[in-house]
Amino acid sequence: MATAWRFLDTGCHDAAFNMAVDEALLLSHESGQSPPTLRVYTWLSPTLSLGYAQNVEKEVDVAACRQHGVSLVRRPTGGRAVLHDQEATYSVVMPLRLADREASITEHYHRIGLALAAALRHAGLAVRLERPSVLAAAPRSASPACFAALSRYELSATGRKLVGSAQKRGRRSLLQHGSIPLSMERQRLFACLRVPSNHRAQLLREAYASMVAVNEVATTPLDAAALHRALRQGFADCLTDGAELTDGDLSPAERRLAEELQHTKYGTDAWNLGGPAAWRQWQASSRAE
Amino acid sequence: MEFPQDLRYSNEHTWARREGDRVAVGITDFAQEELGEVLFLELPQVGRGVTAGEPFGVVESVKAVSDLFAPVSGTVAEVNARLDDEPELVNSEPYGDGWMIVVEASNPNGWQALLSADDYRATLT
Repeated sequence: MATAWRFLDTGCHDAAFNMAVDEALLLSHESGQSPPTLRVYTWLSPTLSLGYAQNVEKEVDVAACRQHGVSLVRRPTGGRAVLHDQEATYSVVMPLRLADREASITEHYHRIGLALAAALRHAGLAVRLERPSVLAAAPRSASPACFAALSRYELSATGRKLVGSAQKRGRRSLLQHGSIPLSMERQRLFACLRVPSNHRAQLLREAYASMVAVNEVATTPLDAAALHRALRQGFADCLTDGAELTDGDLSPAERRLAEELQHTKYGTDAWNLGGPAAWRQWQASSRAE
Repeated sequence: MEFPQDLRYSNEHTWARREGDRVAVGITDFAQEELGEVLFLELPQVGRGVTAGEPFGVVESVKAVSDLFAPVSGTVAEVNARLDDEPELVNSEPYGDGWMIVVEASNPNGWQALLSADDYRATLT
C-alpha cells in the first residue's frame, strides 16, 4: 500500500525558521520519523534566499538589502538568489525511490513538475512544463538571479519562468522547494544583488523577458491561500500514487529540530553570510569553547 | 558508462581505490552523469574522521545539492585541492583527477563490504 502523505500549512514565519523547517522535514524523513510531506508557507518579511554555495561578498549587496528591508538567508539547496515576498512557497520531502527503484534527479523534477503544473492549472493559469532538453541548448545565463535561468523541468507561463525550484538529496530522501511569486519586484531584486553597473540595465531587461509572476498572467488576481489550496489538489492528483494526502502539523520532534536549526544554522551570520565552510568552522570553535 | 574493474563501489555511488593502507575516494561515472555539471564541492579537512555510509561532504551541481557518503571509515589523509577551482574535473575525470579524498582506513574489513564493478553496475539497472 502506498504511504500516506501529509499536507502541512505552516503559515507565515521568518526566513530562518522557514529554512529550518524544510531541513528538519528532510532529516526526519531520512531517519524514518516523518511521512512524505507537501508543505506550503509564506514569509514574514521580504527575504533574499541564496543558493548553498553562493558567495555573499561577490554576489550580494548586503547594505542595499538592509536599506530595502530585505532579510538574507542561505538555503540548504543549490542555485542562485531568489527574492521571496508576495508569493506562495512549497516544499516537498519524499523518498529517492519511486516505484521501487532509485529515481534520477531529472525524474523527480519531472514528477514534482507535473504536480505543480496540475496545481497551477487548478488555479486557472495556463502553464507549461518545459522539458530540460529544449532549454539545455540555450547558453546558461550569467545572472545571479535564480529566476533568470530556466533549466531542468521548469514551469513557465507566456514563455517565461514562473516557478523557481531547487533540490537537496540525502541518502534516502530528497527536499525540493520552490517559489511561486504572486508579484515580482525585479528592480528591488537587482538592487540587492552585486552586478556590474554597466550590466544592470541589461540584466533587468532579461529579467522582464525571462521571469513572470502569477498575477502578471492570471485573469483574476490570486492570493497565496488560493495557490496553497491548488497545490494541495495538484499534488493529491499527481504525486502521491493514490495515497491519501492528510492535513497535519509539525510533530513535536520536528518542531524541536527546526528550532535547533533556526538557532544554530539558519539564524546565524556564519551560515547565511559565511557559507557552509565558515559555518562548520564556527560550529567547531563554538564546541571547543 | 565506465566502471573500472580494479575499484570497489558503494550503493551511494562512490568508488574506492586501495593504495596500500590508504583508500582514494571519488564519485562514479554514473553519479557525475546524473548530477550534471558540478559547480562546487565541500570536502572535509585533513585529519577529520569519516565513517562508512555517513556523509563526508557535499556536492552542488546545476541540478541539485547532494550529500557524499564515505565508502570506508578512517581519517582523511589528503583532499584534492584542485577541485576548489576546477570542480568540473569530477565530470571529466571521475576516476582520475576528479578524486575527492584519500582516507587512512581504520577498518581493513570495510573494503570487503564494498561492491565489485559488476555488482555495482547491476544495482543501476
